[in-house]
Amino acid sequence: MTTRIGISGVSPTSHPIRFTRISAITFLVLAVFSWGYLLVGNNSGLGNFSSSEMWDNASRFVQELAGVQAPVRPAFLNLDRWFETGKLAYQTLAMSVLAIGLAGIAVLATFLPGARNVGNGDLGGACSPGWRLLYYLVRAVFAFTRAVPELVWALLLVFFLSPGIFAGALALALHNYGVLGKLSAEVVENLDPSPAQALKRAGAGNLQMLLYGVMPQALPHFVTYLLYRWEVVIRTTVVVGFVSAGGLGRELRLSLSFFHYTDVSQIIIWYLILVITVDLLAAWLRRLARLE
Amino acid sequence: MVLEAVWTRTPVWMGAARLLDHRRMLTLLMVGAVVLSVSGIDWGSPLFHTGGGGAARDFLSALFPPELSPSFLVLALAASWQTLAFAVAGITLAIVLGLPLGVIASGSVFGSGRSSIAPIAAARFFLAAIRSIHELVWAVLFVAAFGLSSLTAILALALPYAGILGRIYADLFNNVPQEPLQALRSSGASPFRVFLYGRLPMALPDAIGYTFYRFECAIRAAAIMSFVGIRGLGYEIQLSLNDLLFGQVWTLMLLLVALVLVVDRWSSTLRRSLIT
Repeated sequence: MTTRIGISGVSPTSHPIRFTRISAITFLVLAVFSWGYLLVGNNSGLGNFSSSEMWDNASRFVQELAGVQAPVRPAFLNLDRWFETGKLAYQTLAMSVLAIGLAGIAVLATFLPGARNVGNGDLGGACSPGWRLLYYLVRAVFAFTRAVPELVWALLLVFFLSPGIFAGALALALHNYGVLGKLSAEVVENLDPSPAQALKRAGAGNLQMLLYGVMPQALPHFVTYLLYRWEVVIRTTVVVGFVSAGGLGRELRLSLSFFHYTDVSQIIIWYLILVITVDLLAAWLRRLARLE
Repeated sequence: MVLEAVWTRTPVWMGAARLLDHRRMLTLLMVGAVVLSVSGIDWGSPLFHTGGGGAARDFLSALFPPELSPSFLVLALAASWQTLAFAVAGITLAIVLGLPLGVIASGSVFGSGRSSIAPIAAARFFLAAIRSIHELVWAVLFVAAFGLSSLTAILALALPYAGILGRIYADLFNNVPQEPLQALRSSGASPFRVFLYGRLPMALPDAIGYTFYRFECAIRAAAIMSFVGIRGLGYEIQLSLNDLLFGQVWTLMLLLVALVLVVDRWSSTLRRSLIT
């Protein structure tokens, strides 16, 4: 076992209370400096929020969203518009499913070497430099893809790929690959090792240990995490649409820049419908994953 | 009676589902959904756009080495600090908003009477509503309503995070062991005292751990506030990308990764030391 040194050089296992106290003080100092920096800086917005002009603007914006005195018929009273934006909502849903599907397939193919107890030979794998290197490599890829937000991935990808549903889905998949990969590897690290070891005593090889001793235990957790992430992904898909030219996100951005505010409210209604539907669907599917 | 009869009769489609068994049905549904979504893509257009492949090669080769000139590093570090500052401000405001809402939503400070249902339901609904909308969607709406300023971005970040934190806090307050609470109650403590001396201290380690995890997410959220024009790492990444300075993009991305990993390590170490 390697000893882990916490931030500020305090070993957390020997001084848990001191580490907690130092963390609390560090965070408070950070909070004071951050608020100070942002509120003192130019364009803090502090003055705006006390001006009546800004609140007038805000209330006008809300009225425009609600279609009060709109010059044309509000979008949400127009059935054809509902169908048009509905198609975009379906595109957005498809993009989120594709994203979580791509991430899930990639994670399934790569997460096992990312678990420490696989890499050191406890559960399949072997205690060799090759497996150790693979462990660090997989973990580094998880950390990197996870740390970069979906929208930055999307910005980069539209540089190379034709903008569209696929570019957006790939951007979402990259970030969620890191998130799901880390979670799945940690599931394997916390598994009960006895089934795999029993298989080993019975003469099973590495691959058989992983397939019959690890996978059956890890899969339900994996599916549950996948479905939780889908709920996050559907919220973010709209945002990725801002740059990758697909679905509701692009339409939201265009409607805002053309001041078509009733379209904006219609898109937000579709967005909420999507979010609620996916939350309910994911909860139902998670129940299926739990039942025998 | 009638309702019960309707409830217990198994519909035909559920009978068919039983035949399939739940796991197999789940697999079928998930694979089917992915296949359906793949078929929705227009595969006729090329995957890479013209010159995209070359740009990808340029981008990858720019990693060796990334832009490391002192003047750019100063700029990049300043951008990292801006992103961190927005994340810290956002998460602190989210705690301030989410904690009281979470306490109300948990229902633990009210008596068990009927009158407590309305505030609990209202708080739960409000938390669900603010967390359904992504922080960047809040940001574009707030910028349209209030104009662009630091406070607008902080508010946009804090609202969905307050919704998530409040809901988790409520669950944590409700899931504490019941015996110590019973002991407090039997010694005559009011629900508020039971909360203050029982639920709050018992839920605190998990609540702090989860809040720190959300702090890590807030850093990413702060970085993408660049889309509405907020300065920070995301903003600089956009500028460098527009100028095709891929070496700078790498430096900025690596700084973002470093920032996230430091907070991730901080939070996991803190969680471990809170448990022991």
